[in-house]
Amino acid sequence: MTQLFTRRDFLKITGATATAVAAGGLLPASVAKAARDAGLIDPNGDGYIPSLCEMCVWRCGLLAKVRNGRVVKLEGNPDNPHSTGKLCARGQSGLMNTYDPDRVLYPLIRVGPRGGGQFRRATWEEALDLVAQNMLAIKEKHGAEAMIFSSTHNLSQVQFENLLNGYGSPNYGTQRSLCFNAMVVAFSLTYGVEEPSRDYTNVKYVILVGRNLMEAISTSETRQLTAAVARGAKLIVLDPRFTKTAAKATEWIPIRPGTDAAFLLAMINVIATEKLGDCDFVSRYVNGCQELPQVMAEYTPEWAESKCGVPADTIRRIAREFAADRPDAMIHPGWRTSNFINSFQTERAIATLNAVVGNVLTSNGCLVALNPEASGVKLGKPPQPAYPRVTALRLDGVPWKYPLVPLKLGIFQNIRDAILTGQPYQARSWFIARQNPMLSLPDRRKTAEAFGKLDFIVDVDIIMNDTAWYADVVLPEASYLERYDPLNVVDHKLFLRQPVIEAQGEARSALWIYKQLGERLGLGEFFQYEDEEDYLRQQLAPLGAELQDVKYKGYLEVPVEEGDGEIVFGTPSGKIEVYSETLAGAGFSPWPTWEEPPAPAPDEFYLLTGKVGQHTQTATQNNAFLHQVEDEPKLWIHPAAASARGIEDGASVRVTSPIGSVVVTSLVTEGIRQDCLFLAPGYGHASKGLRVAYGVGVSDSDLHVTYTDPISGGQALSQTFVTVERA
Amino acid sequence: MAQKNRYGFVIDVARCIDCRACLVACRVENEVSLPHTRIWVKDQGLRGTFPDLAREFVPYNCMHCEHPPCIEVCTSGATFKDPDNGLVLVDQEACIGCGLCVEACPYDARYLDPTRGVVDKCTGCVHRVERGEEPACVATCLGGARMFGDFNAPTSEVSQALARATQVRQLVTDEVDPDPNIYYLNGDVMQTGLLPRLPRYTTAETLWRGVAIPAVIAGITLSFLGQAVAFTKQLIEGEQEFEE
Repeated sequence: MTQLFTRRDFLKITGATATAVAAGGLLPASVAKAARDAGLIDPNGDGYIPSLCEMCVWRCGLLAKVRNGRVVKLEGNPDNPHSTGKLCARGQSGLMNTYDPDRVLYPLIRVGPRGGGQFRRATWEEALDLVAQNMLAIKEKHGAEAMIFSSTHNLSQVQFENLLNGYGSPNYGTQRSLCFNAMVVAFSLTYGVEEPSRDYTNVKYVILVGRNLMEAISTSETRQLTAAVARGAKLIVLDPRFTKTAAKATEWIPIRPGTDAAFLLAMINVIATEKLGDCDFVSRYVNGCQELPQVMAEYTPEWAESKCGVPADTIRRIAREFAADRPDAMIHPGWRTSNFINSFQTERAIATLNAVVGNVLTSNGCLVALNPEASGVKLGKPPQPAYPRVTALRLDGVPWKYPLVPLKLGIFQNIRDAILTGQPYQARSWFIARQNPMLSLPDRRKTAEAFGKLDFIVDVDIIMNDTAWYADVVLPEASYLERYDPLNVVDHKLFLRQPVIEAQGEARSALWIYKQLGERLGLGEFFQYEDEEDYLRQQLAPLGAELQDVKYKGYLEVPVEEGDGEIVFGTPSGKIEVYSETLAGAGFSPWPTWEEPPAPAPDEFYLLTGKVGQHTQTATQNNAFLHQVEDEPKLWIHPAAASARGIEDGASVRVTSPIGSVVVTSLVTEGIRQDCLFLAPGYGHASKGLRVAYGVGVSDSDLHVTYTDPISGGQALSQTFVTVERA
Repeated sequence: MAQKNRYGFVIDVARCIDCRACLVACRVENEVSLPHTRIWVKDQGLRGTFPDLAREFVPYNCMHCEHPPCIEVCTSGATFKDPDNGLVLVDQEACIGCGLCVEACPYDARYLDPTRGVVDKCTGCVHRVERGEEPACVATCLGGARMFGDFNAPTSEVSQALARATQVRQLVTDEVDPDPNIYYLNGDVMQTGLLPRLPRYTTAETLWRGVAIPAVIAGITLSFLGQAVAFTKQLIEGEQEFEE
């Protein structure tokens, strides 16, 4: 990859921007003024401004060092429980995300053919009018349901939802079915919370089932696990690949892909039949536990060995060790659990195992099943009317084909497929905010085809990612260092994302963009705030707090009433539901159960995906600072599999799946099973508007077949089987 | 006499997860131009065969040695060991970019920045340390592998870590031992590739004394002559005005 610019050029670029802002007239530099008023920066404009990171979804607290209107360094905020004073490589590189020379800083309207990358600069007025006119015309002609809206997990999500719900479309796409649907649906059904939080304070025994915490980094949790291991906690890692997490493990178990559930069901069998669990906890809080010895009888360690390839004695030993360390033992719920169509059962087994050893509590357990929304913090919000009634079916089949998938999760890949089939009706347009379905969805060719069937595509982003490249209108959002977002509640603290520098160019916050668009769509009543600060003031009003106070520290501590200690889980029975009536009612097994996953033919491989510690999904590959510290994206292959095909390390190889093929450089390594290949994720960008990322690596979206779990809606990302040969 | 501070690093190899936050933090903090770097994390690669594998990552940077070979070869006096804190620093105003120290450093922990024509290296973030902050790499180390402090202060984190440690290692050999101020914990797994190389300054220094110094002197003389000619010419022709 050629280097596009040096640090000097970078300084020139950003210096020029700063000058342009300063020369922009006599307008007060609002960020600097606010920061001065708050006592955060001195008269020269130097100081630290607290805010929130957005290089991934973990939302670490940061302290932005600013000098004369520029951000020059980012530090972790020690007062934030997610950063605990640290930022990862992505967080440290965040200012390059803002100062990326490939930023989109003005509204763009496509002028050439779609995907040709030719755009002209437009005013906000023109771009917003054009978007609103198209959206109104589509509603008029085809109904609101012909409009798809998608965005995921941003702090501004609540106003995005106002846009789609006010407009009246049921079609809400999130990325979650490509990530954690299996975990969220399984834990919601079993514990009544989407994701129990983990407490490593006293943990002695941790089992990670494909959770690669040293590379899929969540700053605080990665730190806590590292510290636990350093003080002697045992770490068992189930992964077909020797990840950096496996490198830190007490024991690495290179399990056969798709068979984690067999291993875990056998652990339940051992603990239940040998009565190693916590009987007191189980009898009071767990529904269905007494029946486990009978229900799990067939899942012996010997049976599991035949499925997952792990010796029965190893499974038995780990089950006993795990139970012996209760309640300071945990099996991590996982995160991206979109691996096989049986991943939901894997998650159910994890939930069950933690329950039977009694480590799940509503507080003070190593798994805490407390609903974050039940934290007791009551924020205000702008007034708004009720949403219009929506009668159209959702394109993704939720809930009419997938009754157990929560509406706010949805099934992203199904939306794309419904555009192609035109069933149950034809979608016409897609409004996408800070998402990259063109690269993130499996089967990129299909996604491009679906885009081709749409009349109008709008994308909100900060850079010209692949989705923006194929859009008709690109609306430039301010970066996370340039804007306000609604407040973030973490552990009884309200954290604020606030601008640390003026927005560059004409980039604007999501709160501003959605409001402007809402007003043009006649939905002004859903956006009753003057500006971002007014929105925040309305949020703070019930707490009697001033925005100024939050700005100074970057957070506000909110006193909350402690619960009375009564343990009630948010399930229909109020207990942990190892046996789930809800599942039975929907026609699925009420118990954690074994579903045989498909396996590759003798000459085929499992194609594994995963994470690297230097990037987030498909969003950060254009960051020059991260590009410099990343490993060259390669295809991992075991030496035996490689030599059988005449493949040497560093050779160019062709990987072929049922839907496509890619040519990539090989990495011959002992660190992967012989029946698996691993492709570094997030690469293969098609947008030439990304001058660092373009041409680097290949995308697994050219190989992944679309398979959907019928219970959770999760895409089975490791269920694509491929062949490999010398290119 | 009060003993001077002796600043340095303790690095726990077992705790490095190769996340590379330190690499980015250093670049941003010190405005290190791409593609150069002042610090590294050495991935030693896999040891063993499937499934009995091990893999370690070894962070390193300038070792701020007690007897730094880089200082011995510095012709301009730009490289020095700070008498107050023991950090090995480069006065980039004085550095002439000859690069001898780059060759002399047995750890390859320096580089010549061709755009600025000076040598650059880890400063231990002395500007942060003077404000009471940790170096950028240490401050953001996720695994808790990197520690920094004064080895002369018994209560410092680094002194405490060394006192508690069962296994401490410096990267030295019988031939090359500049008494580096990075101490590694759990460093038994470190491979020989990380050990210091023999300094290359012998040949370079010979070259410097035999060829480069006369060349530089000649260059300076020629440059002076050139200036003199231009000055004389200007005196004769009068100063030409130039537009802004």
